Amino acid sequence: MNLGMLRFLKNHSALIVVTATFLWSAVAIMTSRHEEIPAKGAIILRLGHWQLEAGVREAFIAMAAKYHELHPDVTIVQDAVPEGTYGQWMTTQLMGGTSPDMIEVGLGGAIPYNVMMGYYSRYFLPMSASINQPNPYNKGTSLEGMPWRATYKDAMRFAYVEELQEYMQIPLSQFGVRIFYNKDLLRRLTGLKVAPHNYREFLEACRKIKSQVDDRGKPYTPIAGSAYHVGMWDGMMSDPLTYGALRRADFNHDGAVGNDELFVGFKTGLIDFSFPPYEAKFRMLRELTDQFQTGFTGLGRDEAVFLFAQQRAVFISTGTWDAGSLYEQARGVFEMGIMDFPVPAGDDPEFGRISEGPVYERPASSFSFVITRTCKHPEAALDFLRFLGSQRGNEELNRIIGWIPAIQGTRVSDMLEPFDPHLEGIFGYMPVTLGGETIIKWQQLYSLYQVNQISYKDMADEFLPFYLEHGVQEWAEMNRNRRRGMARDEQLLAGVRVLAEKAAPGEAVSRWIKYRQMMTVRLMTRDLNAALLQKKLDEGVAAHAAGPYDFSPELIAKVRARLHPRAGEGK
Amino acid sequence: MKKSLSTHTARGRESVAVCLAILCLGLAGCGKPFERIQPGVRVDAGWDDYRLGEFSLALKEFQAASADAIPGSAVHLEALYGEATTWCLRRPDEDLERAARLFHEVIDLAPTNSMAAWSWLALARIKALPVDGEAPALRPQLDAYQEVIRRFPFHAAGEEAFLMQQAAKLGTPDATQAREALAALQEFIKTHSGSPWRCAAYGLIVHCCTILGLDDLRLEAMMQAWKTAEIDPINPVQDLSWTYWQIATIAEFNAGDFATAREYYRKLIAEYPTEQRVFLAKQELKRMDDLEARLRAEGTAP
Repeated sequence: MNLGMLRFLKNHSALIVVTATFLWSAVAIMTSRHEEIPAKGAIILRLGHWQLEAGVREAFIAMAAKYHELHPDVTIVQDAVPEGTYGQWMTTQLMGGTSPDMIEVGLGGAIPYNVMMGYYSRYFLPMSASINQPNPYNKGTSLEGMPWRATYKDAMRFAYVEELQEYMQIPLSQFGVRIFYNKDLLRRLTGLKVAPHNYREFLEACRKIKSQVDDRGKPYTPIAGSAYHVGMWDGMMSDPLTYGALRRADFNHDGAVGNDELFVGFKTGLIDFSFPPYEAKFRMLRELTDQFQTGFTGLGRDEAVFLFAQQRAVFISTGTWDAGSLYEQARGVFEMGIMDFPVPAGDDPEFGRISEGPVYERPASSFSFVITRTCKHPEAALDFLRFLGSQRGNEELNRIIGWIPAIQGTRVSDMLEPFDPHLEGIFGYMPVTLGGETIIKWQQLYSLYQVNQISYKDMADEFLPFYLEHGVQEWAEMNRNRRRGMARDEQLLAGVRVLAEKAAPGEAVSRWIKYRQMMTVRLMTRDLNAALLQKKLDEGVAAHAAGPYDFSPELIAKVRARLHPRAGEGK
Repeated sequence: MKKSLSTHTARGRESVAVCLAILCLGLAGCGKPFERIQPGVRVDAGWDDYRLGEFSLALKEFQAASADAIPGSAVHLEALYGEATTWCLRRPDEDLERAARLFHEVIDLAPTNSMAAWSWLALARIKALPVDGEAPALRPQLDAYQEVIRRFPFHAAGEEAFLMQQAAKLGTPDATQAREALAALQEFIKTHSGSPWRCAAYGLIVHCCTILGLDDLRLEAMMQAWKTAEIDPINPVQDLSWTYWQIATIAEFNAGDFATAREYYRKLIAEYPTEQRVFLAKQELKRMDDLEARLRAEGTAP
């Protein structure tokens, strides 16, 4: 090589590298595009999702291959996009008309709810008609002939978009939260082979763990916690203790306590912070967070997982979505177990009388896909989703990923057995915030409580006057916001009614029924319960007032009269 | 030289003329063939835009349809109604005065037409719209609904106006208003025996009874609301768990009819075993048993 050539290479090295890279990438793209070009008459379906966890992409590849065996003319290609950019990616793809044929929806916080409603009507195909038909891939199974919707464990309850009065999504998995633990470490530090399910025994195991140190003299942490994890422990253990508030503040008897009802309960003296279940919740939360590593509120999910993977902590809470990844990290290093959250025994001196039962877990299916309106072969996309949502297909898909199937009669892998949901039980009722200021105040005090800088009594003493005073304005603002929402409902209903008027005779009956049902709920009766609650608030503190679930003397008299009609006559 | 120049100039002009001709032909070819869009198609497109929240596009379609349609024709009325609804309900940039003018235009053009009935109802609904989140005055609402009821008593818009009128009366839980609404609703049930709105009417009766403390009638109305509920033929499997729950709790806590309460709690448990209220339903069944046992023991005590 002569000097001139060397000089040329030296002077233009950057340009040469850029050119070479460009040529390489152009060739690579052209080659892959060429491979994607379907044979004449063949169909390529693209599927977009954000699940980068271990197993998901592999599962789609495997299921696509199985489907391709059944339908050689259909090929499935997946676009796995990181969670952090999924919202922007989906929006640009939909607006640009280049979105995949099937796209996963439901990533919390990715797209605001009202915007998502617009996307549903503009970009996605309704599924109602299809999900009420039997799934052909269930032929020969126990679900043969059943409407597809009815084959789901949750009857597709959360696939329904009320604003559109349509089922829009096809869910494929269920999720749950449990405690993962290091079996080896637990055995070594406590002598226990299995983690205790009884609350007191669990705390005792934590005490033993905390009292021991490793080779370098550092103490072990019983529970690997973080700001991400603390909500799971609260939601599955301490918050459900507040279930008893239902009997004090569920004024409309709907089986739940809204923040408006609880405020009325506080204002009318039916409930306060000395309510034993509320005190119990915070006592238990303190006992649990005492087992976390110091400064856990400032840590994120990954720091806690790291502590657990490094065998510095015995327990960690997480969901099915992380199960595969945690097993991967533990493989060959330590044996991992999964356990249900501990519960206080009936004779527990502190919580026995307050904990009324197991914690209820709503069987909700997610990992949901929609079909986009730009899909050139919507019937093929629907057929692929039917394949994934069939008894055999759904079992296989979730077996590969390591998640819980959404379809009835499917087998769950042994690893996930502890995730069997509790379908009966209690849930928490302490929504003590109404709007901006009470939310901020409560969050500030709650954070201080979590890090043990304030006692429950001090927290309650500081929050209560603030809540009762500022709550009045926030209550009024909540009511104003409810009324402000009326114009939007009117807007929606006008469109629904015209759709009913213009529908073909067969469809019109259904459309009118939907209109009347929506009209009744959204406009006719929207203010009535709120008005009753306002009346109760205006009446103020009522001494010796009965709670909504108390049997009043008049009611007892009625029941007595029914049981002893003659005695009633005599009286 | 001069000749040559002029020849060049002439050739140049010819070339320019040819180019211009080609350009014109090309442009003509590129343009879409003139096609008049039917007003009916424009109205449908307007409603599609409306439902997608594209209110400016919807207005353009409705206005174009209105301009092209034969005055007073069905399509013309539909276009005017669509434009009026859009001005009324678009957010932001609503124009209620303009909307009201257009609704009145529909009414003036065809006072007995179905579109006029819906326009009267829309005018009443304008009076019911909250202003900055505050509830609007009650009397103008009631009068406006009454206008629709008087003109179209058996039209769907008239029936809807009647129910909205009663609901407005119940907006403040006042015994006098509740008694008035209860009587009106009971009369509606009698005179509109075939109305698809009966379920909603029974629902409002339940609410009247709540205010008035008429517990047995409340339970009966709740049962009727369930029996008259419409079943959507496209979606025949309806979730009745909430209805069962309401009947059971009214029977238990208001009517003291424990037999009915037990029946509906058990229906909820059997038909919706994974429903979140199942645990509470079982607790209530036990509470009723305990109370009855206590009262029985009282009855047998010497």
